[in-house]
Amino acid sequence: MSKKAAKAEVGAVGKAAWLAIMRSMMLARLAEERLVRLYHQGKIFGGVYTGIGQEAIGAATTAACGEHDLFTPCIRNMTVHLGRGECVLNVFRQYLGRATGPTRGRDGNVHYGNMKNGVYAMISHLGAMLPVLVGGVMARRRRGMDTVGIAYIGDGATSTGDFHEAVNFAAVNDVPVIFLIENNKYAYSTPNSDQFRCKRLADRAAGYGIEGVCADGNDAVGLHLLTRELVAGLRAKPRAMLMECDTLRMRGHGEHDDASYVPRELVEEYAKRDPIRAAWERLMKEGVVPREALDQLERACREEVDRAYHQALNEPPPDPATLLDGVYADA
Amino acid sequence: MPEITYLEGIRLGLQRLMRERPEVVLYGEDVGAFGGAFKVTLGLQEEFGKDRVFDTPISESAILGSAVGMATQGLRPVVELQFVDFGMTAVHHLLNNAATTHYRTGIPVPMTVRAPCGGGFGGGPFHSEELESLFCLMPGLKVVYPAFPSDARGLIYSSVMDPNPVVFLENKYLYRHVKEIVPQSFEPVPLGAARVCRAGRDAVVLTYGAMVHEALRAAEQLASDGGYEVMVVDLRTLKPYDADTVLTAVAATNRVLIAHEGWRTNGFGAELSALVADRAFHLLDAPVRRVAAPDVPVPFAPELENAYRPNADKIATALLELMEY
Repeated sequence: MSKKAAKAEVGAVGKAAWLAIMRSMMLARLAEERLVRLYHQGKIFGGVYTGIGQEAIGAATTAACGEHDLFTPCIRNMTVHLGRGECVLNVFRQYLGRATGPTRGRDGNVHYGNMKNGVYAMISHLGAMLPVLVGGVMARRRRGMDTVGIAYIGDGATSTGDFHEAVNFAAVNDVPVIFLIENNKYAYSTPNSDQFRCKRLADRAAGYGIEGVCADGNDAVGLHLLTRELVAGLRAKPRAMLMECDTLRMRGHGEHDDASYVPRELVEEYAKRDPIRAAWERLMKEGVVPREALDQLERACREEVDRAYHQALNEPPPDPATLLDGVYADA
Repeated sequence: MPEITYLEGIRLGLQRLMRERPEVVLYGEDVGAFGGAFKVTLGLQEEFGKDRVFDTPISESAILGSAVGMATQGLRPVVELQFVDFGMTAVHHLLNNAATTHYRTGIPVPMTVRAPCGGGFGGGPFHSEELESLFCLMPGLKVVYPAFPSDARGLIYSSVMDPNPVVFLENKYLYRHVKEIVPQSFEPVPLGAARVCRAGRDAVVLTYGAMVHEALRAAEQLASDGGYEVMVVDLRTLKPYDADTVLTAVAATNRVLIAHEGWRTNGFGAELSALVADRAFHLLDAPVRRVAAPDVPVPFAPELENAYRPNADKIATALLELMEY
């Protein structure tokens, strides 16, 4: 695409859509920075796992989808939740284990979802949500909805049996799912070189008889334009596909991990390509979103995060008397 | 009234469900036109179409995982594991996905996993396993195990209509060995209700699956040889199990034998034994006894499998010892 055509396309998406993407990214960044601080202050029970540096992927891709689409976010996808309409208040309720939170204190940190937004709550086992999403998309389509799904996973989860089974199952049944691999170079401490031998993970698509594409995971603008095109293609002709997004995790696996195994030069390289700053600059440069609107958005996000944290802090924890409630659904 | 086999009971239950409930879909390995490895689903694809009855790749994780996804989006998937043994490559979807979803998120998961199990036909270590106690360990799952054609028909119906994930265990030996004359129409059999399938006052055998029939034979033998009247209780549902019926039977007989086809240590009999010790210790005239498989992999050769697998003779011997205590 020529620069001029790309610019025209960015303009066509419209200011409101770009601001929504920026909002998801900024809210997630600010909420996660707050969670990091709380963790190190000893104010969070359990771990904190962030997607700092990877915000573009969830924000740009969810914004390219429709009302009935389905998503299985993974560890570093707060922007999938926020992009689909989750409120930051629920994020803090979840981390603080509040009775009012999405899992009512029954599960913690990143294990939450909201089916009103088409978002499944992940379990810890990486790769395990992939077949769940495939089944969910099949079911919604059988019920007459034009659903497309996006399954988010990391480079490490591509080594699981669930990845293979789910991708093949979706391929065989022509289920419109994008298996979106966020290649952030490290699965916990294990580098790509100890994880797989193919040059690029998207290359594996050929083995499943499906299409595979690579994208810059730190470029929210480019990623959003690409995903709009892919989603439209999958709706027109239902089929599975792989999408590999290049990115880097800018914190440890969790806040307990100093990530000293990641070379400093690599971190510095990706620091220069911060997804929020990159999108901000491009949208301003192309004249789609004025600086004042972005400044205003950032202030609003800061206030929202502050308000959400303090509200969640003052909400009640679960009552131990409810321990046994809800193991089974009532007939 | 037609005479049906255990296998036909399951098929008739599924057929009625699919006629009444458009949200029921059925899939697994070779279950479509081929009708499944044991032909339980034969004819269902022809009647309901490939949209609702379809084959999958050999992918137990994809089968169980996708069923969780479907069940949370308004369908009632019924999936077949070709053998329960094969489900072990994907059991994390039951333990971690299906069983925890409602507790964590409040979303019901009405899925049913059909799993043929048990031995007695030379299936060897990987086609004969009895893994009910493994499933019974998992909070959030229900576990059903019919012994008769009528129960197979009525219990599969209730399992599929239940809003929770249900593991529906089918005994392969019973598929064609057990027949029953049944009315054409049927009432669903409720989950969680045991059935006294032989009355008696001298001892009770608590059992399920194929061993129900072996226990009935043993009870007949004791009645004709020794004049003992042995009660037989078929649990039918293992989780949640019917503690009331069990305790009433213990109170009526005071001697308890537990019989199951699977392994002894940590087998389901250990749970029943603990229940009786906990709630009915004062009613016992003798220690609770168990007849179960020894803790070895299921052997292949008939001589070894016969030595391994509990049967009517082993149950009868144990019952006599129990009576003579």
